Order: sequence, then structure tokens, then C-alpha cells
Amino acid sequence: MNEAIKKNSSFSAGSPNDENAAKVEKSPPAKTPAAAVPPVRDGAGKPLVLGFSLGLFLALLTLWFAPMLREWMFAVLPESQFALQLRTTDIKRLQKDALRLEKRVSSLRKKYEQLTPRVPYLIVNTSENRIRVMKGNDVIHEGVCSTGSYVLLRSAEQQRQWMFFTPRGMFQIRGKREYPVWKKPDWAFVEEGLPIPSPNAPERFEYGVLGEYALELGDGYLIHGTLYTRMLGMPVTHGCVRLGDEDLRIVYKNLQFGSKVFIY
Amino acid sequence: MAVVARVARPFRFLRQNRQAQIIFFLALFIFPGIIFLFTVVLPVAHNPFEASAEDEVAENIEALPDSTPPDIITGRQELAKKMAALEIDQAFFQARVQLSKSDSISLAVDLLDSVLSLEVKGLAMRRCKILRFRSSGLAKRLRSQGRLHQWLAAPFVLQKELATLPKSPIRIKEAPKDTIEANESKGEDLPIEHRDAEFTLQFDRNLTLVVEQAQAPSFSGRLRQLWYDWRRSFDTALDAVVALLHKELPQHRMWIEIEISREDAKAVYRALPQQAKLALRL
Repeated sequence: MNEAIKKNSSFSAGSPNDENAAKVEKSPPAKTPAAAVPPVRDGAGKPLVLGFSLGLFLALLTLWFAPMLREWMFAVLPESQFALQLRTTDIKRLQKDALRLEKRVSSLRKKYEQLTPRVPYLIVNTSENRIRVMKGNDVIHEGVCSTGSYVLLRSAEQQRQWMFFTPRGMFQIRGKREYPVWKKPDWAFVEEGLPIPSPNAPERFEYGVLGEYALELGDGYLIHGTLYTRMLGMPVTHGCVRLGDEDLRIVYKNLQFGSKVFIY
Repeated sequence: MAVVARVARPFRFLRQNRQAQIIFFLALFIFPGIIFLFTVVLPVAHNPFEASAEDEVAENIEALPDSTPPDIITGRQELAKKMAALEIDQAFFQARVQLSKSDSISLAVDLLDSVLSLEVKGLAMRRCKILRFRSSGLAKRLRSQGRLHQWLAAPFVLQKELATLPKSPIRIKEAPKDTIEANESKGEDLPIEHRDAEFTLQFDRNLTLVVEQAQAPSFSGRLRQLWYDWRRSFDTALDAVVALLHKELPQHRMWIEIEISREDAKAVYRALPQQAKLALRL
């Protein structure tokens, strides 16, 4: 019996002796201790399990590389369509169409180019903290600036929070001020660990910290000067655009009420 | 050799047992075969970019007769090519003019002039030189069909994005309790960001734009890139599985891979809003 079991085991491991194995399976169960050995697996079990396991792995690989395989298929497969020249037999019509299309493209191009402002405008790059004063496609002046720090300030009780970022998009100059006075908002006190005063308390007003000029962009955002010139070129502000004295003078001189400011 | 023998041991039954061989190979190829059929063969056969049979017939009706002299065919071919290029230009400028009506920042990718620009209200705020680009073979097929302009006619809308850098480098700061604590925190150094910038933008109409930085990434950047590449492939595979579960075929995406400088990549990625729009010329 033991020998028979051995034979059967060797079948499942790849023995060609199928007939013997079949005989063993048909024989009645033995009462010897060897019968306690679990029944020997069917001959199909092992290849099935191994095949499925490997197949599953291959299927996952196929799924993973499917976009690449599709791309290869597109490269290999012949193009099913007709070449461009076969669209029409009427050459005159084709030439007319081409001329009309050329005019249309040229007018669209002009329309698009006219969107660039002819009067001076400002471009602020918050990623590299740089500015460019432009007129049409010409650069009038380039300089450094400081923009929003992306600090999220949470008050001690965590009931209030402020996000210090410079908004992106197109803005317009809504006001110009000389020797501006800064009316400190609540976060300025929270940031310094001071109690928040009433809205018009005298300690809210600070002179000289915004430089010689300020240009309003709306929603409390300003383009202004700074006392901390060594910080220029870094993202350190509470959302305003800070400039050095010389840059601020040029920006103030060139940008008028309504001038466009593009921030990205 | 010992390793090979060890790996091969479970497969010894394949040597002589014919029945086991058949069962093994059937089991081996059934899953990959089904996956191959549903994620590769059928999506290729039914890809949305391929012209339908009706289009073929319509164009075939107007085909030139066989007796047409070759010089006329060449002349028409040139004219047709010019027309196709003009149609693409028209689609590109139309899309840009359309984008200029919106207040949000958009992207214009001109592969013919190798320029990527960040635009708002029709003004190119930043123009980036595209140093290198590759695109899906599908673009070529679509161009040869003369149908590329139809696909490019309207701006593409951003649906999903994946990047090696955060969209906003937010730092959380707890408010100081008093002025002493506030003065202490004033001395803290500002963290300087040296992140590598690579990102993938998935737009509607099956367009994927992959932006890579030209500079070699740092060691940590390389690790992040590995994770990013893995995530990208995983997301694609997951999308395919989800589509199959919804009894739909996964769709092949038209991909464009461009290389720009790290600074440009960073600025572009950070500036793009959710659902950003794209005008494309290729």
C-alpha cells in the first residue's frame, strides 16, 4: 500500500504511470496507519492551481501594461482611413476653401493678439517671486517681489484661521495711494500674540510700514513697499505683493487706475 | 543553477503528462487572454478616435477616379495637407479666443512651435519653451485621417491630476500665546522648497498631458518620481477595472509627454486651477 501511495504521489509530481495511479484510486481505503495520510490530490489539481496562479499574475501584468500594448497595436495596425487628398474631386472648390480658411485663421489670430493690453500692465510670478512691467509684448521693467507665504495661521483656540496666499488671475488697479497707512487686520495681532483691539482702535493704524506707495487690487490685497527688503524674492507676505522702493516707484508710475495686473 | 532547479521543481509534471500540460496551459492563458481581449484588443478596435464606417463610405464616394494623373493627385495632396494644417490652426485660435472669455488661468500647448503658455484673458503670462515632446501614435493616425481639428476644436477640461509636488505648499502655524513666544518664532528660518516638478493632467476627450522637468531629479525626487509613476500606472489599471465592472471598455487615452524646465513646470502646475482648460495645437 505504501508503495502504491508512493506511486500515486510520484504521479502527481509528474510520473507518466497513469494506469497504476488509477488503480490505486479505485482500491478500497486501507485500515493501516498509512490511511491517515490525507487523500492524494487529483492529477488535474496541481496544474490547475499552478496555471491559474501564474495566469492571474500574467493577467495583472497585462492589465498594468495594457496602455503600452494598445499603443503598440496602434503602431502595428494599418490605418483604416483614406488619404487626405481623396476628400474631394473639385480642385477649385478646394482652393477656394483653403483661401477662406486662411483668412479666417488670420482674423482669429488678430483677434487673439488684440487681447494683449496696449497700456502698461503688471505680471506677478508668485512661484519665483518676480515681477514684470509690460506694455504690449515689450518688457518695461523686471524686478523681485515677495508674495503669499502659504502659512495657515490658527488662533490659539483654533476657532479662527487665516490662509496667507496671493490670489491668482487677472486683477485691476482699484486705487492708488501715496504714503499709505496700514490698518492692521485681526491676524496681525493674533500673529504677534496680542489681544485683538476694537475695529477702529488707534493701535490698528501703523505708519510707514507699507512704503511710499500702495496700489489696491481689491479684497484688501495691495501692492506696496516694505521695510524688510532682505526678504524680497521670498514667499513671506500675508497675501499682498511687496516690492522694493525702486520697483514700487516704477510700478506706481506706469500703472494707472484700471490697469491690469496678472498674477500666476 | 540550484535556484533554477528549485523554481522549475513544481513544473516537473509538465515534462511527460499530456493531460496535465493541457490543463496547465488552459488555466495559464484563460485570465490573461480575457484581460488582453477586454483591455487591449477591443479598446483598440473600438477606440473613439477612429473614424466610423459611415465616414469611410462618405469619403470613399468622393474619391478620385483611378485614371487621375499622379501630378494632380500630388497637387491635391499638398492642398489637402495645407487645409488640414489651417483647420488645426483655426481650432487652436478658436479655442484660445474662447478661453479668453473666462476669468480663470488656462494652458495653451503649441507643439508645432514648441511653446507652452499660461494664459489668462488672452494674455500669455508665461511662455515656456518645450524642450522635447512625444505623443501617442493615435495623433498621427488622426492627423492622417484629416480629423485632428475636430478633436482640437473646443478647449479640453482638466479632470484629474497627479504630481510629485503639492499644489500649494501650505505650512500650518499655531498662533503664539503671547509676545514672547511670537518673538521667538520670528527667528525661525523659512523653509526653501527644492521640489522636483513632474505632473500628469488628465483632460476630458481622452487626453493626457504628462509634463516632465528637464533637470535630473534629486535622490529624494527620484523616490517621489517612482511613487508617482507607480500611482499613474495603478490609476490607469484601476480605471480599466472600474470600466470593465461597469460593462464598458477601457478607453485608450491620447497622451502627450512634454519636457520643460523645472521652474516652468512648477510655475505652471501651481498656477493651474481646478478644471483648468487647455487649447492644443499638434
